[in-house]
Formats: sequence, structure tokens, C-alpha cells
Amino acid sequence: MTELFQYVPGSSPLHRMNPITKIGLTLCVCVAAFLTDNLFYLLGLLLFDLMIGVVGGCAKKAFSVLKGLVKVSVFLFILQALFVRRGTKLFWIITDEGLLTAAGVVLRLIVVCLPLTLVLSVTQVSDISGAMVQILRIPYAYAFTFAAAIRFIPQFMEEMSGIMEAQTARGVEFDTKNVFKKLGMILPLCAPLLVTSVRKSGATATAAEIRGFELRKADSGYKKYGFGAVDLAALLIAAALIAGAVLIP
Amino acid sequence: MISVRSLSFKYAGASEPTLRDISAEIPDGEFLGIIGPAGAGKTTFASCLSGIIPHAVRGDFYGAVLVEGLDTADNRLTDISRLVGTVFQDVESQIVSSVVEDELLFGLENFGIPRDEIEERLTFALERVGIAALRHRTIASLSGGQRQKVAIASLVALRPKILILDEPTGELDPGSSRQVFSLLRDLNRDYGMTVVVVEQKIMLLCEFARRLAVMSEGRIVRDGTVREVLGDVGALEEIGVNCPRSALFSSLLAEKTGEDIPVCINADEAEDAARRLIG
Repeated sequence: MTELFQYVPGSSPLHRMNPITKIGLTLCVCVAAFLTDNLFYLLGLLLFDLMIGVVGGCAKKAFSVLKGLVKVSVFLFILQALFVRRGTKLFWIITDEGLLTAAGVVLRLIVVCLPLTLVLSVTQVSDISGAMVQILRIPYAYAFTFAAAIRFIPQFMEEMSGIMEAQTARGVEFDTKNVFKKLGMILPLCAPLLVTSVRKSGATATAAEIRGFELRKADSGYKKYGFGAVDLAALLIAAALIAGAVLIP
Repeated sequence: MISVRSLSFKYAGASEPTLRDISAEIPDGEFLGIIGPAGAGKTTFASCLSGIIPHAVRGDFYGAVLVEGLDTADNRLTDISRLVGTVFQDVESQIVSSVVEDELLFGLENFGIPRDEIEERLTFALERVGIAALRHRTIASLSGGQRQKVAIASLVALRPKILILDEPTGELDPGSSRQVFSLLRDLNRDYGMTVVVVEQKIMLLCEFARRLAVMSEGRIVRDGTVREVLGDVGALEEIGVNCPRSALFSSLLAEKTGEDIPVCINADEAEDAARRLIG
């Protein structure tokens, strides 16, 4: 789970692409997913997401994220199918429109979530924040906060699993199959974890301050983020995805 | 130069002060080692020298710490940081980036180091700390010792006038610890950088530092050259500081023989002392 947000080194066209282009392409996939009601188009977007994973050299990760999302989607699908009553009744309280709506919702969820995690696999967080400051002129403090938050997630999870392993070693049954029992054991750990995390983030803020964080300017960045042919290609693909979502009924 | 005047500090919520009426002068170009038992106030003292106390830690701060004439309490932490580089005891908290190169670039970019100088400083720091091969690695993939080296390299690249390190070799093996201290000695000698190190590995301190300060119960109880401080091994043992065996050996030799045996700070000196006695 901790590797979900981690960068996968490589030299694919996606790795070379400008971070802003990658974010733009991701957002366009999301917009296209919300603009279309065509299930086949959504399936096409899903294939496009998986293709991004393959091109970016992180196909294994893409499929593992997909597997996780499908698990969540099953629950969402059942709920949607149960609550939508419009359309022709197929069996019990399930209608054809209910099934189609449920399929649309879960496909959209998968199509939107997948590229967001894949972007982090092919882009260093520091490059995203650096490009945000340099190209989009977003204040550095916001970009730094974004980067720190992304960096903090795996740290937080590592710490949580460390506490759980330590408790398991001392006889606490975290490996129980009873979800409610497990939840009951995890909840008391949240308070100390939160306290430790707040303390750590305070120390990190001090560490940033003593290395001149407040002196930072928009053009302080050493790395330059240019645009190339691969970015132009991505721009055309993004435009095509949006156009397809609007034009295909 | 750092000038400490009647410094006392009590953490918010604590019943007793951690530092009690400390006064000291650390001249430019000094290589000072701070030792003492756990709870003596070493880390708190180092935090006061770097300005982290009183700026980022709540508590009652009395007295004054002047860094190159700047009162740490009256000036911004950022302004003090232009002069003082600090390596924390908790390395994890110090790292702000996800890639080694970015971690080093962070400070260089912030302090506006000219672009044509950045690459030279990056290479110098990475090579001297022995992590050139890790330049493009993610921090998450590094061991504790490697992260410690990254934290040290990120400060070395900044080449501050004063470098304060709180147990910089806590997670390092003996070889790497020695490498870090050699680097500190070179920075001190070649760049005139003032180095203040809080360290438990007394053998290393004795070999590389010029001056030792021994802390106990919030006070500096011994302060002098390494040989002066190690000259009274009985007092150090009483405080709870483990003396190098060479110093214990020379002290024992002097006691048993009644001869004037100089303090030995390493095995070679102890061997020489023994040979001279034997004739």
C-alpha cells in the first residue's frame, strides 16, 4: 500500500513529459469521464488509463491499483443498483437503469482514480511542485505543502504498520479476520499516531525554516521544466479525449 | 563567534529547567565537542545555539545567545540560519524532499546560491559524505544511516559559517562515523567553519575536536582542550561520561607510578607512554 504514491524511476516518454502536461492530461481524462454517459467510451478511457501504465513502465502497479478499485467498486455498484428504481424491473428491486447507472458510476470512479495514482508513479513530487511554482506561478508555500502532504502519506502508513507490528509481536491479534474486532483495535492507535505526526510535521517545518524556506522566490528553482514534442502529443490526445466525450452520444 | 550569556531554559510544562545559567564563548574556527550523560541538556543547548530555541520550541528562555552579534531571540530564525547550519538528532524530521538530489537543492535554492555554483556544491557534498551514488535515489529507499548522511550533506552543501550537529553519527557504522568526522575536520580546517558537535562517541570527539565541553544536569561542568578535560578521568566517570580507555590507562599509569604521564587520547599515545616507562 505504501508504494501506491511512490515514484517508479524510468525514462519513458511519460517520465520525460512536463509535470504540468501530465497533470493536465490527467485532469482531461477526469473531465472526459464526467462529460460522457457512454459506457463504452468510459471503458475506452479505462483502457487508455491502463495504456498509460504500460507506457510509463508501471503496468504492474496500474493493475494492482485497478484490482483495489474494483474491490471498492463492487460495494458501490451494489448500493447504486439497489437505490436506483427507475427503468424496467429485471428482478427483485433491481432495474435495467439501476444497473447501467451503477456501472457508469464505478467506471467513472476507476477512470478518475487510476491516472491520479499513475501520475505520481512517473513524476517526482518535487518536480510537480517545482513546475507548479515555475510555470503556473503558484505560491511556493502551497506547492511545498502539497509535496509534503504526498510525501507524508507513505510515512504515516509506515508508522501505522510499525505500531501494529510491534503490538502484534506483543500478542495483540491484529491479524484477526473479524473486521469489527480489528477496527476496535486500530482506533485507539489513532490518537498517539496523530500526536506523533503533528510533532513530526512541526519539526519538519522548523527544518524547512532553518534552510531558508521563507527566502524562497518563484524563480529560485534550479531545475527548469520545458515543453517538448511529447507534451504537444499529450495535448492533442487530451483534446481528442474531451472532444470524444462531447461528440460521442 | 557564538556568545552564550547566563542561558537558562525550561520547557513549557516542565517543573525543572533543562539548562541552568550557562555562559560560554565559542570563537570562530572552533571545533567543539559536547558530551554528557543522557538528560544533561546537550540537545537543548545545541537547539539554543542554532536559534531553534526560543523560536520553534515553547518554554521560558532566560539570558542570551549571540551568533556573530545577532541575538537569537530578537532575530528571525531565517536570519540566524544564514549563519548557522543545524543537523537534527531526529534525521527523519529534517528531510523535506523525496529524492536525495532535491534534499540538497532545497537549501541551495532557498538561500539563492548562484546557479553555476550549485552543481559544484552538490557534487562536493555528495562525494565528501560518500553518497554520490545515491544522488537520484528516493529517500524512502534509503537506510537510516544513509538518510543521516543525506541530512549532513544537505547542510554541508550550504557551507554555513557555523555548523551544529546533534549526534550526527547515531545511526552510522564506525567507518561512516569516522568519514563524517574527517569531513567536519576538513571543513573546519579548510573553510574555517566553526563546528559544534553533540556526540556520545567520545573516542571520535577526542580524536577530532579541539575543545570539549562536558554537560551535566543542565550545566557545563568541564570546558577546555581535549587533554585538559580528559585529565580528570575520575570527575568524568563521576558525571557519567565514559572516558576513552587510553585516557584511563594514562591516568592509571600516572597514579601507580607517580610519574608525570601526559593524557593519552588514543591507543598509539598510550603505547608510547608505556614504552617510555619501560625504557
